Amino acid sequence: MTNQQQLQHLYWRAGFGPRPQDIAANPSPRKALRQLLHDAATYQPLEGPRIQAAEMQAMTPAPTPDLRQDPQAPALKKGELTPEQRKEQNRQIREAFYTMNTGWLERMASSPAQLREKLTFFWHGHFACRVRRPDAALQLNNTIRRLALGKFGDLLLAVSKEPAMLQFLNNQQNRKQHPNENFAREVMELFTIGRGHYSEQDVKEAARAFTGWSYDAQSQFVFRERQHDAGSKTFLGRTGNFGGEDILRIILEQPQTAEFITTKLYRFFVNDTPNPAHIQPLAKAFFQSNYDISGLVERLFTADWFYDAANVGTRIKSPIELLAGIKRTLGVELQDKKPLIVFQKAMGQTLFEPPNVAGWAGGRSWIDSSTLLFRLQLPQVLLKNAEISIALKEDENDLDPQQTRADRTFRQQVQAKAKLAPLGLLLAKTPEAQQPAALSQFLLQAPIRPENLTLVEQVAQKAPADGRLRTMVTSLLSLPEYQLM
Amino acid sequence: MPTSRRDFLKTSVLASSLLFVPKFLHALDAQGVQQLRNSNGKRLVVVQLGGGNDGLNMVVPFRNDLYYKARPTLGLKEQSGLLTLDKDLAFNPHMTQLKALYDQGLVGVLNSVGYPNPDRSHFRSMDIWQSGSASDQYVATGWLGRYLDSNCPACQVPYNGLEVDDTLSLAMKGELRKGLALKNPEKFHQVTQNRFLNKVSGEKAGGSGSELDYLYKTLAETASSADYLYQTSKVYKSAIVYPNTEFGKNLKTTAELINSGIESRVFYVSLTGFDTHVRQQEQQGKLLGDLSGGLGAFVEDLQKSGQLNDTLILVFSEFGRRVTQNASNGTDHGTANNVLLLGGGLRQKGILNDAPDLANLDQGDLKYQLDFRSVYATVLRDWLGADDQAILGHEFARLAGLV
Repeated sequence: MTNQQQLQHLYWRAGFGPRPQDIAANPSPRKALRQLLHDAATYQPLEGPRIQAAEMQAMTPAPTPDLRQDPQAPALKKGELTPEQRKEQNRQIREAFYTMNTGWLERMASSPAQLREKLTFFWHGHFACRVRRPDAALQLNNTIRRLALGKFGDLLLAVSKEPAMLQFLNNQQNRKQHPNENFAREVMELFTIGRGHYSEQDVKEAARAFTGWSYDAQSQFVFRERQHDAGSKTFLGRTGNFGGEDILRIILEQPQTAEFITTKLYRFFVNDTPNPAHIQPLAKAFFQSNYDISGLVERLFTADWFYDAANVGTRIKSPIELLAGIKRTLGVELQDKKPLIVFQKAMGQTLFEPPNVAGWAGGRSWIDSSTLLFRLQLPQVLLKNAEISIALKEDENDLDPQQTRADRTFRQQVQAKAKLAPLGLLLAKTPEAQQPAALSQFLLQAPIRPENLTLVEQVAQKAPADGRLRTMVTSLLSLPEYQLM
Repeated sequence: MPTSRRDFLKTSVLASSLLFVPKFLHALDAQGVQQLRNSNGKRLVVVQLGGGNDGLNMVVPFRNDLYYKARPTLGLKEQSGLLTLDKDLAFNPHMTQLKALYDQGLVGVLNSVGYPNPDRSHFRSMDIWQSGSASDQYVATGWLGRYLDSNCPACQVPYNGLEVDDTLSLAMKGELRKGLALKNPEKFHQVTQNRFLNKVSGEKAGGSGSELDYLYKTLAETASSADYLYQTSKVYKSAIVYPNTEFGKNLKTTAELINSGIESRVFYVSLTGFDTHVRQQEQQGKLLGDLSGGLGAFVEDLQKSGQLNDTLILVFSEFGRRVTQNASNGTDHGTANNVLLLGGGLRQKGILNDAPDLANLDQGDLKYQLDFRSVYATVLRDWLGADDQAILGHEFARLAGLV
């Protein structure tokens, strides 16, 4: 594997793809990784939109007194909003989420802190959470971003105290008299140790320990002592008057937790099929380092097997990786950002809207007839302003299920600009006849099929000189090969 | 510079990449159909009512004082034109065609269908109904997708399951097989077809089971399915008048696909807008009119072509509404709900179980008396002849002698 191929692999996995200038500089993968780690050191929060104060007021007080109410609905005081106000509130919430979504996507495409954003994206799917309040969702997102490369224990504790997560997993309903086990169960099953390593009794005892973990109207964590069960609990073989922090600490004392998290990271960064021979040493070191995430990913990206052919160009890009990757590699900018949301929904992955607490399934589940056809048409839409027509399903975020089909239908040309000049520079020294091949080596992580290369060469020959590069790029991005990284 | 649609289709690399779909994959559709013919020939049409349909104002307990007490202005009175059924229940006045079908013995009504620890979020509850999971379980495949997985492992054709829409629901996504979403055969064909297609490469796929092969295989199946569905559906055009609604059009497309001999076992159609927190009577009435009119025409269409006896229609929503009306003359998110079954193959008809017990509520919400997965198990085993336990991952009591 050439240095260029290794570099590209690193930029795709540790970030959202290479830019032409990253490849032109041609550093060694080790040097590139050092730079990625260095650039990821700074944390800058994602900024949120402002929602009108009156509308926010309508969404507080956060912990609803009516425990039977839709846990995802805002805590509206019944009858306080007219239908028009309700509609306006839905619109504002929707707009807020859209602004956060496209703001993050933009950052994935342009931030030097590629590794931090990539890990934030990983944890976003790991600590999957879907709430109606944009401010709570953003706060959780920034907490994850801040701790994405630190100690996993700090991240876990902070996420567990986030109002968004406590609400999503019903911990505001977890009280001494009426425990709600949802939060305790998911913390173990999905966030830390995995199924089969705890009993139903452990879930019950952990739930008792988390009683009283709640939040106030200002979206701050609150420990409500009167709701807390201070009695003795027996959890994973240990007995004591445990609180929530103790439960998390005991979970982290299990080497299985390190293995569970390492496996999930491996599947995200390396290969969807876990290889125990690769994972076990990583997990051991992760455990011994007191769960140092930064150290773990550095070890992973410097392993010999990371650059094995079996791990290069063999992962199906998630819709976000596909979109952010096109934007980053080609500097694509949309005049109106809204279509970026439509694209995400059409392909099945919308930031801030995971399907459930288990996150996105990934891999082949991204691909069905509709999503594949959409993916293959997307480059035409972004680079050649081709029209695309698609009706989305009803709004899936409980934001506004009453949207009409017309409102859900997208049919327009997208006004987008791409910066292809850096790509032109990258190809400047390559003879024209070899440019399609050189370009395919930069844009595709899976080797191009020979007949596809022939087709791209034919298309390039027919294109007028000033549109050749754009035509070649569009052709290559429209191939099934481009769906892989 | 913007290009015209015509230019787009001419230069579309999407179509060009179809060039490289190996020829042998195109022969798969014939093979797949052969496999399907060995089945019992029954098909299922699922109609999803999105937004949480209020079952109590669809199948109205009009002789129950508790109903009117909970809904002083929202409750539907007998004199408003309720369409009386059996057991002191009546259809909403807008459901005239469904009432006619009921009188013909083509309808079964199930009351209080739900699941333990119900979730009142639209998205999560729909996730549960579509995946067929328990409320504390997270399953990334759909119950109909897993049916496609299990039913015909040798079949390659994605049109085993068809959803009439632009995107595919979770319900239709299996581990290995996924249904196919199409708004109509013409539009679908148009996206995949152009003049380059005739020059399809004879190159064989690697067959290594790699992700790249999977992408090419999906592309090949999509292309050949689009072609097959378009060619086949051309032969039959419905002569029945459908309501001029989105839902009516989608059911017409479904009927045309069925009546032209498409061998799909499962069809999926949605009608949305049932989230009636305010002014419910007006909104829900219109939607139930759309449902009734659409299904009326659909059943007539299938009856005429002799397909109704082999067709079972299942109508569901992600949850019902609360029993008590809210201050805006609507209802908030609730729990158990009605499921309707329609078709010529129903062996039991009419009201199939007890009416909702309004005297015995769970903090103001209906208690479920029937798990929705029992309905799925019955449909899978007794109608489609599939292994319900393997598909649902658990044994659920089936409704004896229903289909």
